[in-house]
Amino acid sequence: MVRNKLYLLLFTACTAGYAWLTITYYRTVSLALEPGVCLIKRVTGIPCPSCGSTRSVLSVLNGDIAGALLWNPFGIIIVCFLVIVPFWILFDVLRRQSTLFNFYNRTELFLKRKWIAIPAILLVLLNWIWNISKGL
Amino acid sequence: MEAQKVDMFILNSAKYFESYQINGIRERLIALDDSKWAMISSVQLKDPTVSLIVSILAGSLGIDRFLIGDIGLGIGKLITCGGLGIWAIIDWFLIMGATREKNMQKIQQLLY
Repeated sequence: MVRNKLYLLLFTACTAGYAWLTITYYRTVSLALEPGVCLIKRVTGIPCPSCGSTRSVLSVLNGDIAGALLWNPFGIIIVCFLVIVPFWILFDVLRRQSTLFNFYNRTELFLKRKWIAIPAILLVLLNWIWNISKGL
Repeated sequence: MEAQKVDMFILNSAKYFESYQINGIRERLIALDDSKWAMISSVQLKDPTVSLIVSILAGSLGIDRFLIGDIGLGIGKLITCGGLGIWAIIDWFLIMGATREKNMQKIQQLLY
């Protein structure tokens, strides 16, 4: 992937994320009462590994970090992404550098290593089992 | 390289590449030295149909993106329920092209 395409994609992802947060933040109906947007949950009725991350991010917004971890630990990653990436993109675009692009490529190579990938997959599976037992 | 060898390779692996790329690959292969044949013929290419099947079955978990080597995008899909379900559906249409693009990158490292 080339630099500009990646930045456009990340920027779109951030915008979509903030738009989704705004929609859910000002909605009066509780999220738990609706089926939500998750394809897996709609089709099978079982929550997916990342179900509950919206509620997790909203918990962080309300200052409840412990509650966020209980909803779904992925929410913390998403919050970090949403806070850091827009500024990083802005910094790179203004200074005509590609630090974020290089970081992305290095991270991809790092995650491809077996001793990183296998524990990561196990963690995701454990999180999935936890999600199902929580009945999100 | 011999034209016959190259044509055999092209026949066997045409489905792994975009149609507009095939002519370029063929010309480049013919110009290439014979010593590279072993590497070229044994390169592991991903089948676009397989990634489409994976995308339909497990696209919301980002497994299709992990499969073709887009680890970053895979994680993005995984932790957002397949981009709120929208990206997962968009990827049903993009994943075959993305796989061919990845194959092209892989063979380009050998060709140039």
